[in-house]
Amino acid sequence: MNPIDPRIHQVLDGEIPREALPQDLRRVVERLESAAALLAAAPEGRSVAERVLARLRRPARSPVRRLAQWLTAPHPVTLRIRPVWSLALAATLVLLMLLPEERSVPVLGEHEGIAQFVARFPGAHSVQVVGSFNDWRTGTIPLEDRDGDGVWRAVVVLPAGAHEYMFVVDDERWVPDYSANRFVEDDFGRENSVLIVRPVKG
Amino acid sequence: MRVALLLACVAAPLAGQSVRIRLENRVPAAAIPIIDSLVQVAGREGLPTEPLVGKALEGGAKHVVPALIVRAVETRLDQLRDARALLVRGGDAPPATPAEIATVSGALRRGLPPPVVERVVGALPSEPRESALHAIADLVAHRLDADSSATLVIAAIHAGLRGGRLLDVSHAVLEEQQRGRTWAESFVRVRDELPDVPAAPKPGEGTVQRARRPSSVSKAPTPL
Repeated sequence: MNPIDPRIHQVLDGEIPREALPQDLRRVVERLESAAALLAAAPEGRSVAERVLARLRRPARSPVRRLAQWLTAPHPVTLRIRPVWSLALAATLVLLMLLPEERSVPVLGEHEGIAQFVARFPGAHSVQVVGSFNDWRTGTIPLEDRDGDGVWRAVVVLPAGAHEYMFVVDDERWVPDYSANRFVEDDFGRENSVLIVRPVKG
Repeated sequence: MRVALLLACVAAPLAGQSVRIRLENRVPAAAIPIIDSLVQVAGREGLPTEPLVGKALEGGAKHVVPALIVRAVETRLDQLRDARALLVRGGDAPPATPAEIATVSGALRRGLPPPVVERVVGALPSEPRESALHAIADLVAHRLDADSSATLVIAAIHAGLRGGRLLDVSHAVLEEQQRGRTWAESFVRVRDELPDVPAAPKPGEGTVQRARRPSSVSKAPTPL
């Protein structure tokens, strides 16, 4: 708040003549006087009661707008629950988290069998098997090395019959399964391993 | 007859389209039209087309240059033609089924001499030969004589063994050899035991429960 020069107060109170002020203070006095005149000419403000009544007379808002406002406005929620139930709920959640993940046991068809892939690739970050059974598409049958000993495994359900395949190590190195004992030239200068899957129900 | 012709007219372009869709983004674009035409030729000749599409996809996955992929598909087409000719020579009444053509082609690719394959075809008329051929090929892969291997497997066929049990025969020979017997002794011993060769163990319940079904296994089941 800017302090007002005391001489201005004296002029406004009629204690000293306006001419006693320097030019710049005289302009300030003139502005203050014009502001006072404007305030004096303003219509008389409405009372509190009138403003309340005016608000009550406003048209009602649409139901959609009221619903939107209800949905977006915060509402207090009070939940009354016995502590014993809270503890029971917490214990149930912990049990559910600790339970081993239930895997669906595959139901094998008449012409399906089990293929077990095992390969030793110490230091590899990823190993997957690709072959004629998955259109040589990577990313569908990853092998796992859960204990980090470098031996990668996968057990999968495949159609019974002969399949050609290779391992893909770290997404770039194509390696035949040397433990397969069956190989065939791939016509691209390398060899595919050959796997024969027997039907389990046979 | 008219319905069959109509279906054939509708199915052929649809099949060609599906081949292109399978190859797109997985095989170099430059190779797709040629491979597509080779697949159509195979289809018209009554040969299985899946080995050709599979070979193209394999080449694409292995990042092989387009010219080599096309050459490999052409080679597969020739192998399928040879396999069908062999089936007819072996006594199969034409037209040979696409499954048997693929089976015989696979046996030839595994290195079995054509006369040996013909013997198996003749020993199993109108029956699947895949297991018998793989059993012989397994023995040949261990440098056993192809003719002797075929003789043993055909003896097993005559003893009533079929399907996966024929693979048990070759497995039994290899086990006998691992016990210190010569190949000749192993052959004789297994032949004398026919048809009572030990059966391969089935996967245990735990193994079956651990098995996952891959999200995209595309090949149709092939009975052994």
